Amino acid sequence: MADEPSVIRKRAKAVLEAGGMLRSRSIEERAQWLAASAKALGDDTPLGREACETLPKETGLSDAMVAWALRTTLDTVHRDALLGVAEEAFAIVGRRPDPISFLSVVLAGNVFTASVRGIVVPLLFGVPILVKASSNETRFPSLMRKALRRSDAELGLAMDMVVFPGGDIDRETALLELAEAVGVYGTDETVRAIEQRIDKRIPVIAHGHGVSVVYCSARSLATESIDDTTARMALDLAAYDQRGCLSPQVIYVKETLRTPAESLVARLSEALEAVAETLPRGPLPEAVGVAQTQWRGLAEVEGTLVRGRAHALAINRSSAIRWSPGYRNVTVVPVRSLDDAFDSMTAFVAHIKCVGTDAWTLRELDTRFAESASWKAYVTEIGTMQTPALGAPADGRPIWEGLFRTNV
Amino acid sequence: MSVRAKLERRVEGLIADPDARKDEVRDQLIADVAKWQAARVPEYGRLHRQSAWPPALPTDVFRVRRIASHPPEEDIRVFNSSGTTSSNRSTHVFKDLRLYDAAARAAAKHMLFPDVDRMCLVLLAPHEDEAPHSSLSYMLTRFTEWFSAEHTWVWHDDSLDIDRFQTALGEAVADGQAVALLGTSFAFVHAEDQLADLRVALPRGSRIMHTGGYKGRSREVEPTVLRRTMGVRYGIPEPWIIAEYGMTELSSQLYETTLRDVLESISSPRRLWVPPWVRAIPVDPDTLEPVQNNARGVLRIDDCANLDSVCCIQTADLAMRIEDGIVVEGRAPGAVSRGCSLAADQALGLS
Repeated sequence: MADEPSVIRKRAKAVLEAGGMLRSRSIEERAQWLAASAKALGDDTPLGREACETLPKETGLSDAMVAWALRTTLDTVHRDALLGVAEEAFAIVGRRPDPISFLSVVLAGNVFTASVRGIVVPLLFGVPILVKASSNETRFPSLMRKALRRSDAELGLAMDMVVFPGGDIDRETALLELAEAVGVYGTDETVRAIEQRIDKRIPVIAHGHGVSVVYCSARSLATESIDDTTARMALDLAAYDQRGCLSPQVIYVKETLRTPAESLVARLSEALEAVAETLPRGPLPEAVGVAQTQWRGLAEVEGTLVRGRAHALAINRSSAIRWSPGYRNVTVVPVRSLDDAFDSMTAFVAHIKCVGTDAWTLRELDTRFAESASWKAYVTEIGTMQTPALGAPADGRPIWEGLFRTNV
Repeated sequence: MSVRAKLERRVEGLIADPDARKDEVRDQLIADVAKWQAARVPEYGRLHRQSAWPPALPTDVFRVRRIASHPPEEDIRVFNSSGTTSSNRSTHVFKDLRLYDAAARAAAKHMLFPDVDRMCLVLLAPHEDEAPHSSLSYMLTRFTEWFSAEHTWVWHDDSLDIDRFQTALGEAVADGQAVALLGTSFAFVHAEDQLADLRVALPRGSRIMHTGGYKGRSREVEPTVLRRTMGVRYGIPEPWIIAEYGMTELSSQLYETTLRDVLESISSPRRLWVPPWVRAIPVDPDTLEPVQNNARGVLRIDDCANLDSVCCIQTADLAMRIEDGIVVEGRAPGAVSRGCSLAADQALGLS
């Protein structure tokens, strides 16, 4: 399915025009509307039920995972959180910011709920939005559009969506020609391609692909805390079947004689089996299956591999990090210190989106990251990597960046 | 007699009789070879499986490690795959090519030249002198010794010598002598792009063997389209156009069955013939156990002729069983590692 350029232009124009109505409402009214829209997608609503019925097939996630993803994401969209994001932004850009007139957003298809923040935050600030859904994942943006319109028919017109294959120049032109800024979620190639084609005066808010990692201190592996640590870590790994940029690919573990990496891996494997009971992995796509057989075999040759029913953990002490195909295949790297972990991360620092760590290391990591210009990742506690707060930074930038003409 | 020599003799026994199907003998030989290799090839010895079958070494390991049961100083030949950088190029070393030669000769005789002892060969691939690390060039050079009445190499300096190719085609037609065109699939695509409207009706008995993927060397053409196009171009019936499946990490090749099926009046779907010294099985990516019935899986090939490296190889190709053979469906689209756009594996940087 591909919308014709004329249809895309028509929708872009209608969305742009709806911006006036959107901006005529107060921030409180918009927050109210957005919170109501999120509720309209809840699991006890018709739209929520439709989402739970249709999204597993479209996304390849299990039924339980879809329900979990919807619940944990939509729960972040409540009035107080929305107003909190607004307050945070106003504290920087001033209380009477000048929002841009129109935002086009190109969505990726790997994590379906990633579109929530990308849609809700612009609307909160009075920015109408036209979304290009990923060709293989149109259902959720479409349900969001329905929810927004059911909650307020007039305001709902400020968001619309189109579908067409990436790289279609005519359609892309139609999508972007009214845009005052463009948000792009996807591979770095997608981001680069759009940056090259677009008018250089239009800012591109890029959310290229990346990876996330975990740092685990010795304290979190102590007898009294290891169960909690591994249960939380297992949730981070299992969520969205490790397909997203916030999914940990590498776990750095500070090992001691008492707590070797092997003991973490054994416990984490058990925790992943337990998570799989409530949040089973979706079916393995063929391409991933092929990559998985290669990755696991290579990991076993180069280190130690612990296989579960639907996961594998590779302890890698000496060679290169082999990026896994996701789907609950993760590398565990033993380190002697946080400095060692930092040294290792330096090789791909620009691509790190999120670092999960334990409560004892959170502050230290935050401070270190704040001191370094090259770190864009945000730091969060293990177990919350996949459930960022509505206002959590994206790619090291405020979530509202690019939405105001007077942006700082 | 050493254990290796005994194993080699058993492999030679299977290769000597391509018509025989001795699956139990083959399976036992695979188990024995794998056990012997696990004690000698450290990388292979690290693999563990709770399974009736020996573990299979992923082809990716050949990109990053030297896989051999002998020290480097005993290498007499090194084959590399055609990756663009050293990090995506597989390397397969040999201290002895006798089994490789025997397997290549037996399979080609059985499937590609079952009806002739020798014939004219036109080779759309570099001679081994031009590509000493290409296993295909090595094999085709041996073919000229084993199967050729006359032969012409028409791929030089990394490009098709179109004049020489046209001359060879013209001479075959003029002499009424059947010819075998052997080369890479992308070389045949280059020929398609350069021969324009030329059509030739090669003499009866002519045949084509094409192999390999495109890897950016030419435009990509679907196998069925390429076959049809070549059939029209050279006047060769489609059953006489067969694909070869081989890879650097293996010593044996799998050929499509159609030419032999025609000669034996067998009506069966196009599939790859699995030689009696090879086991080819699609496996489940989670369990690594064979998939049920004719489901698609990731192809595992156990090649007894890989005596001095590792016999059991886990490929990155999707395949399914068809009757007594295999259909390879190639790489799954989008089979990339996460790390998203990170270009290459990253050094850990640990001090």
